Amino acid sequence: MTFAQAVRAPQARRMPHRPNRQAIAHRRPASRQATRLRAASWEIRSFLLASGVIVACFLLVLLYLAQATAVSAAGYEAQRLLAQRDELRRQNALLVIESARLDSPARVETEAQRLGLVRAATIRVVASEAVAAAR
Amino acid sequence: MTATISHTRLRVLFAFFTVASLLLSARLAYWQTVGRGDLLSRATDQVHSDLAVAAQRGIIRDRTGAILATTVELRSLYAIPAQMKDSEGHDTRFAVAAALAPILGERPEVLRAAFDSGAEWLFVRRRLPEETAARIAALGLSGVGFEMEPKRLYPNGAVGAQVLGFVSDDGLGQYGVEGSYDDALAGTPGRLAVSRDPANRELALGLRAAVPAKNGDDLWLTVDLAVQNAAERELAAVVEREKAAGGAIVVLDPKDGAVLAMASSPTYDPARVGSANTEALRNRAISWTYEPGSTLKAVTIAAALDEGVVTPSTSYQDVGYAVIGGRTLCNAQCKVYGPTTVTQVLTRSQNAGAVFVASKLGAADLNAYLHAFGFGARTGVDLAAETAGIVRPLAEWYPVDLGTISFGQGLSVTPLQLASAYAAIANGGILYRPYVVASRRDADGEHRTAPVAVRRVISEETAATMVTMLTTTVDNGIANAAALKGYSVAGKTGTAQIPSDDGRYVDDAYISSFAGFVPAIDPRMVIVVVLEKPQSKLLGTVPAMNTFKAIATDALRYARIQPDRP
Repeated sequence: MTFAQAVRAPQARRMPHRPNRQAIAHRRPASRQATRLRAASWEIRSFLLASGVIVACFLLVLLYLAQATAVSAAGYEAQRLLAQRDELRRQNALLVIESARLDSPARVETEAQRLGLVRAATIRVVASEAVAAAR
Repeated sequence: MTATISHTRLRVLFAFFTVASLLLSARLAYWQTVGRGDLLSRATDQVHSDLAVAAQRGIIRDRTGAILATTVELRSLYAIPAQMKDSEGHDTRFAVAAALAPILGERPEVLRAAFDSGAEWLFVRRRLPEETAARIAALGLSGVGFEMEPKRLYPNGAVGAQVLGFVSDDGLGQYGVEGSYDDALAGTPGRLAVSRDPANRELALGLRAAVPAKNGDDLWLTVDLAVQNAAERELAAVVEREKAAGGAIVVLDPKDGAVLAMASSPTYDPARVGSANTEALRNRAISWTYEPGSTLKAVTIAAALDEGVVTPSTSYQDVGYAVIGGRTLCNAQCKVYGPTTVTQVLTRSQNAGAVFVASKLGAADLNAYLHAFGFGARTGVDLAAETAGIVRPLAEWYPVDLGTISFGQGLSVTPLQLASAYAAIANGGILYRPYVVASRRDADGEHRTAPVAVRRVISEETAATMVTMLTTTVDNGIANAAALKGYSVAGKTGTAQIPSDDGRYVDDAYISSFAGFVPAIDPRMVIVVVLEKPQSKLLGTVPAMNTFKAIATDALRYARIQPDRP
């Protein structure tokens, strides 16, 4: 025995038998029929309106979710790009330091000695005034 | 047949669900009202992070813009031993240690012992070189990872170590410019509060509050890397040749007191501060005092000339010694020179002559001029740990002190003080405060250091006379070894005894020095070379002069300074 069977349903209230339309047609006046049609039309419009509102809400929620997802994805992408930027900056800083190390006079001197270069014993200096006067 | 449930049982069931619903509702209401704050904070703790954003330490550059010190993020290797497992869950500590050991230059047992120490998380090696970190990353080991940590790097190695100072592991500047300008270099940390997802990524839609870090200021020094390198190279060479205990070199721009170079021996490598001895950390140019010896005669004679008590041609009869305060003070090797002018006192470096000049001047004036030239007080250079030297108060002078101090014994100075005094003679008589930081650059732009003229020490005429006398000293006198082809040089040698702890002087050990400027007319640099206990002993001024010459030759050539002599 199921729960539904165990619980006795209350006496079903039968709706009074609705007379058929033909019978109504010859018994009711035309204005009542028009009123009824207007009422049916209102029900349909209400249904359509409610449906429209629900669909619109659904679409709005969907739009919001799509936007939120897109923003989140863009946020992750921005974060990835920031990390990439930081790493590139770091690599650049390391290269700048390496460049400075290679430019160091002490290193250049050591390298020059390794290559067998010697310091110039004398340097001839030409006085700029004399050159300018000769021109 | 349909079975039925009694109304009583139904009511009990209904009551049970009602009570359960009420209890749940009450609990829900509790968490929504009273317990809301607690829940919220727990949730916030899970997704929010509030971090301090470290400020980038400022870059230190030389006067040409070459980088002397900068900070870069390097990778530190950490280990989580519990996570050292392969895909099947087997412990891989041994394999990880074996893989890391050759790259790190460490024995595997040492690494394994660290992994087995019980620590949940530990640094294996901090601030690895980039190549090493890349090699380790390529191994793809489980249970190890990298964390970025700032590292102060000095691309020129030990060059300028004492001027620059260093930065400790906790980011504090020590010694030199790093120490004295720590506040400006360090900047101000920022703050970043963000919401994070379980993968620790920032959420774009979550909380984000940031106070940006203010990076440290960049400093441009007056130091010239090429001159600094020449000074350090020559100092290291002469200290090694002479087996000297140490030494110092200062190169100043006499026109404004800018420090072009400052070398000190022994020295250290800022990349290996931990292994440096404390003496090497000391910048001898500013924190080492010594008796200047005959280099001070120039100050004595300048004071006497300025007071008008002598002229360059004032003469006296030199008998090889002078008696003052009941003590006899001899010339070097008690040599007798006979009739001597004040100029000759300087060119021959006669002690008895200096005593003669000082006697004419008087103790009070000599004391006043010593202080005016900046001795006995810190120069005010913008470096940490400067010492003042000693010039005893006049009231503590014995009569003999007038004589001994006249030729540079009985007082102590720093090499920088002597360089400043010679710069005052070179530039026409104005004492400038030496400085190392030429400008500070921050987000607002450049803030230049204005040279500070402390005082006029001697008149322009006196300074000009002194330049002539000091030039003669190099051209025809005792400092002839400092003469440079093509350039006029003015300078004076100094040999001083070293006081011992018992109040006497150390036997057979000297401090040799040379102070001079070049070109003598329109000087571009003052160079002071000081050597402690050179093996040449009394002839130690010769290597000091050779060092002066080598530095001056390099610096003049580098600065493209036109010769002023044929």
